[in-house]
Amino acid sequence: MTWSTYLPLWPLSVSPALWLALTLVVGVLVGEALMRYLRLPRIVSYIVIGLLLGPGGMALIPQFPATEWRLVVDLALGILLFELGNKVNLRWLKANPWIAGTSLLEATATFFVVYGLLLWFDIAGITAAVVAAIAMATSPAIVVRTVTESRAQGQVTDRLMLMTALNCIYAVIFHKLSVAFMHGETGTSFIHTVLPPLYLIGGSAALAWLFGITFERIHHHLGQHEETFSFVLLGMIAFATIMASTLKLSPVLVLLAAGLITRYRRQRSRTFPPHFGSAGAVLVVLMFIANGLAADLSGLWHSSLLVLLLIIARALAKLLSVLILAHYSGIGLRQAVALGVALVPMSSVALLLTLDTSAVFPAFGSGPGLVLMSCIVILELAGPILVQAALRAAGETPETKI
Amino acid sequence: MSLMPFAPSRPLSVGVELELQLLSCNDYNLVSSAPDMLRRIAKFPHAGDVKPEMTRSMIEINTSVQQEYGALVDELRSLRKGVSDAGHFLNVAVAGGGTHPFQHWSEQKIFDAPRFHYLSELYGYLAKQFTIFGQHVHIGCTGPDEALHLMHMLSRYIPHFIALSASSPFVQGHDTGFSSARLNSVFSFPLSGRAPFVLRWDGFEKFFGKMTATGVVESMKDFYWDIRPKPEFGTIEVRVCDTPLTVEIAAAIAGYIQAMARYIMVEQRTAPEEDDYLVYTFNRFQACRFGLEGVFIDPRTHEQRSVREDIADMLTRIADHASELRAEEAMERIREILAAGNGTSWLRQTYAREHNLGDVMQLQAELWMGSN
Repeated sequence: MTWSTYLPLWPLSVSPALWLALTLVVGVLVGEALMRYLRLPRIVSYIVIGLLLGPGGMALIPQFPATEWRLVVDLALGILLFELGNKVNLRWLKANPWIAGTSLLEATATFFVVYGLLLWFDIAGITAAVVAAIAMATSPAIVVRTVTESRAQGQVTDRLMLMTALNCIYAVIFHKLSVAFMHGETGTSFIHTVLPPLYLIGGSAALAWLFGITFERIHHHLGQHEETFSFVLLGMIAFATIMASTLKLSPVLVLLAAGLITRYRRQRSRTFPPHFGSAGAVLVVLMFIANGLAADLSGLWHSSLLVLLLIIARALAKLLSVLILAHYSGIGLRQAVALGVALVPMSSVALLLTLDTSAVFPAFGSGPGLVLMSCIVILELAGPILVQAALRAAGETPETKI
Repeated sequence: MSLMPFAPSRPLSVGVELELQLLSCNDYNLVSSAPDMLRRIAKFPHAGDVKPEMTRSMIEINTSVQQEYGALVDELRSLRKGVSDAGHFLNVAVAGGGTHPFQHWSEQKIFDAPRFHYLSELYGYLAKQFTIFGQHVHIGCTGPDEALHLMHMLSRYIPHFIALSASSPFVQGHDTGFSSARLNSVFSFPLSGRAPFVLRWDGFEKFFGKMTATGVVESMKDFYWDIRPKPEFGTIEVRVCDTPLTVEIAAAIAGYIQAMARYIMVEQRTAPEEDDYLVYTFNRFQACRFGLEGVFIDPRTHEQRSVREDIADMLTRIADHASELRAEEAMERIREILAAGNGTSWLRQTYAREHNLGDVMQLQAELWMGSN
């Protein structure tokens, strides 16, 4: 018998999973510290820790696009999207059409400003359209997480959630449309450029509708048992996410639409625990770490000017659109500025759309995709802080002192 | 500061103030939307007045001075429409009821106005716990002595008003067992209770002068009495009612008080006695706790009966005065409450059916806003 049969070899060969576990512990602890001492949102630390330990930083954790990671991200995002949909009252759009108007204006302005900017930087029209479509989306993950964490409530919070849900839907659809045109450009027939978006919208809506009905049924019978119900729900979300990918539909659209449809059809209001229970909450934390791991700032060194201009132009488009219609839609100047600022974050949805496009068009991934990735990293880090500051400035977070 | 002179007003004119709860349409908890609602409501011309209240999750609607129940209910309905429209526009639900069933007082935000901040400093958590919603009814009086007379005579019937309007069984997530739990919050204020037994206005001025000299009060606003004179309006103000679940009930209760005031002024004409107040807090507690089933002890005959029976008896006695004031419909509604129960019974029945206070609150808001 030698030393080596029962003692580990030096240096230790450590599985990357160990670092991942450590990341979770450190991330959550740092998050707590950020919240207590700097009053910053916790998710900033999850992303930063992921960024530091991932390929972009010390490279302790393996490369992101492993399928396991993708499943975590899809699931957690699914939870957050379904949660967002559930908090959004579509009937409000009928009672206050100015909000629908603000949403359309904001998304259109963002699209054309980003599109114009990219054309000016000599990027091909169709590629510019893909990027512009992705840029429309506000991060539902950051919005839902920050609203939950800060327990915000009020006009800005409600509108932020509604407009985020809507601009994500626009982004997914227009992304699919422009990708279809990209295909058309590379030489397939007309029918194959028109059908994909139709299939996407119709298919996602049908799947979402089925999900909504099943959800209500199960909730009716199991709703009293919160814990059991949350397990079933996680299973359903996983099922819907994987089913959507299998059917080549958009998981983002399916889960978001499922939330919206469930809420729309429901007679009574329902409140659920944040992220539908602690299992969901763990997934959400892992997702933000994963987003940090996936962070790729290489585009920043090549085209820092474009990245910077893109961020500014996009933010201005959103802010000004909200400001223009603020008075008619019934909010004051301070609230409008807060809402405009809170619409700026980019994260998971944009990330997934970018990765999906890069997977099909490698040229996109090495060009404009990198620019987008840099924007996403920056707005993912700044996003939670902006949303929190905006909600606080709008007076919608609980007062800390009695 | 001395007391304002009593401005004479048209006798038996009536005005109603209702404090309303503002709710988020997501979870039907209170939401601090008063500034948004007030800004929206101010954009359109409307009858009466809409004002901020202590915390940002409540607003108050005031009618103008009315003579009759019919015009009063019309004005309240138009105020309700204005407020409901603003609510729909802003995704804010509006509801009646004396308490919010599950709000937490520490999450309430004080409305940004000097008086509210002053009160918040003074009373601390009481100010936030004061997130309760009441109906105030003003009755016009020809002069100050008449006002004091009416105030003391009406005091005997305080349990009627409490039991008819009671709609606050739930507080902080639980059924308190009270018909009007809201009043328990009012009673914790040092200057709550009843006005001193003074029948002449000069005597009342003397009392007020002594109180201001002690530094305890600055104005009539600092007294949280069940009924208090309001010299600048020339009215007495009945303040014990919960905000009912609909404006129609609010108007009916105002009509009932108005008819009773006419009965007191025109027909009864007996002088109030200090001993009338011997049973005052007992009767008031009974109405708060048990509503229409509460025990009512007549201060003069010492006869015991239920509040419901005493109201039924009063309805026959004031019938002529009600028709004189064209308030028959109001009396009809009061009779309906006696038969079908007050807001608290509606809330308890709804909770028994829905098992969820959020759902109760949603239905309460739908009831107040009307179907649109």
